[in-house]
Amino acid sequence: MPNLFEGKNVIVQGITGAHGQFQTKAMLKAGTNVVAGTTPGKGGQSIENLPVYNSIQELQEDFQVDISVIFVPAPFAKSAIIEAIDAQIPLIITVTEGIPLHDMLQVYERLQKSATSTLLGPNSPGALLPGVNKLGIIPTAFSKPGTVGIVSRSGTLTYETMAGLSEKGVGQKYVIGIGGDMIHGLGYQACLQLFQDDPDVDQIVMIGEIGGTEEIDAALFIKNHVTKPVYSYIAGHHAPTGVQLGHAGAILGSKHESAAAKTRVLKVSGAKTATSITELISLVK
Amino acid sequence: MNLLEHESKQLLSASQIPVPLGKILTKDQVQEVSLPAVLKSQVPTGGRGKAGGILIIDTQEKLEEAAKKLFNLEIKGHLPQVLLAEEKLAIARELYLSLLIDRKTSSLKLIAHTNGGVEVEENKDFASWLVDYSKPDINTLGQALAEYFILEDKTFVLQDLIENLITCFKQNDATLIEINPLVVTEDGKIIAGDCKMTLDDAAAFRHPEWNFEAKTAEVNFVTINPEGNVATIANGAGLAMATVDAAYDAGLIPANFLDIGGGANTESLLKAFNKIIEYPNVQAIILNVFAGITRADEVARAIVEAQKSISNLPPLFIRLTGTNSDEAKEILEKNQIQMLPNLESCLKAAKESIDA
Repeated sequence: MPNLFEGKNVIVQGITGAHGQFQTKAMLKAGTNVVAGTTPGKGGQSIENLPVYNSIQELQEDFQVDISVIFVPAPFAKSAIIEAIDAQIPLIITVTEGIPLHDMLQVYERLQKSATSTLLGPNSPGALLPGVNKLGIIPTAFSKPGTVGIVSRSGTLTYETMAGLSEKGVGQKYVIGIGGDMIHGLGYQACLQLFQDDPDVDQIVMIGEIGGTEEIDAALFIKNHVTKPVYSYIAGHHAPTGVQLGHAGAILGSKHESAAAKTRVLKVSGAKTATSITELISLVK
Repeated sequence: MNLLEHESKQLLSASQIPVPLGKILTKDQVQEVSLPAVLKSQVPTGGRGKAGGILIIDTQEKLEEAAKKLFNLEIKGHLPQVLLAEEKLAIARELYLSLLIDRKTSSLKLIAHTNGGVEVEENKDFASWLVDYSKPDINTLGQALAEYFILEDKTFVLQDLIENLITCFKQNDATLIEINPLVVTEDGKIIAGDCKMTLDDAAAFRHPEWNFEAKTAEVNFVTINPEGNVATIANGAGLAMATVDAAYDAGLIPANFLDIGGGANTESLLKAFNKIIEYPNVQAIILNVFAGITRADEVARAIVEAQKSISNLPPLFIRLTGTNSDEAKEILEKNQIQMLPNLESCLKAAKESIDA
């Protein structure tokens, strides 16, 4: 499989919105090859000297597309993601937050039937390959090109870890936010596989949260398939049960979804675990 | 958001799922009910029966007394606003049936048990079936459920029930509908004896009809310990959780979790400060902001403004870094507010100030 994150031609869905416009500018500034964007009904306009199309179909008459970054507001995000799947875009990154779960269930069904598209997100800050590609909203100012792979469910916690590592001279090859929602595309496992297979990556940082069991599955994957050192931190050690903490996915359902349980499983699976971000940063060499 | 039993049953009934005949009683209006009846406290919590929140009434005289009792009975910190008076069913069997969104498979899941009722959580070996969202196979599901419940003669009824349950689930953007018990009456009817329903807050924009006792949950400000001695503010859910973790590890007792989000401005900080001063024991506020997309100088200005307008604010321990943090430092220092280099130093200083 080619490395999806190194895809060249990038488009922005929802490019005329305030968020889309601002982030397009930031992506261009970081050197990302954004070629065009879409907003239904705004075809013919231009944003940052890039052409705006009504639909991806129209856009594809002029451009071949590798990656789409979606900033479309939550009520319309389902249609936007499905449009990108139907257009067979290889990597679809959804930054939009607050998409109803029923919409994501339908998106997920379509995604499973698609042989061509991979989804990152929703509620994801996207992916940053320092010096190569900025796909989403991860601030480049605190990154540094290097050999660490970071994967996380949380945005600011990712920035914080990335900034801490850069400050002590440890650069990153990948910084990937899989998103804080309950139903999402690409997970820890796919990212860990990517880091394991990429000869440029020599250390892995995995940041998790309370809720769900994805970190547990990831731990088993680490045990069986990852030979590179993994450093991890799970946020929410003191979270109350049954209460949502910010992220839609961050809700402690049962004991095995707790930060302590996840940390324990990661530890016995061979990851080096930290109890705070400061400790996490200090562990990585 | 979690609905009350009577609200859930109203939605079930609207989707043609049989529920007991019932009436809502308010404090000012305890009207006559047909007897015998079951009087149920409408509180947003489980374990209601064990707490004495369900009473059987066989005479009208007893109704008023029972209603008064239930209106004054606090269950896990909740007093009911209304009571539900229902016909008393002649119960032959109590089963369990629920439909939910399964996180692991990102699909709908139907779960059943032959042993429904109050002790359902002690059951093991629940039967479950994945349900295709767009094209659920109602016939097969109904058959499987009928066989599982040993109610083969009710296959059609169960097929209808599943179809209506899925419709109800989709129409209301539910994330959970739990019917427990699903009652089989002595005359062979299948009725939802009790129901718990959770709706997806994120879908509120397309449900102008939603008008329930519970409001959309506040997810960004959560009380962890009302007696805590330190309040926490951070931007981003993960960072906010990590801040609470670090405060505990430093020997402090965090009162709250607060994700102030990307738009930390004077208004949102003021709102946060006003909530924080309601905690009786909070003697310090930890503010942990990593300005990635936000700008630290804007956050600093907001802190200065918000602090000015609240006189009895506990001391602030601020860690503010990221975009424009030098400007932020200047702004804060000009207003005699100290900015500390990292979260650890904030926690240490807060602990010392509280212990002093």
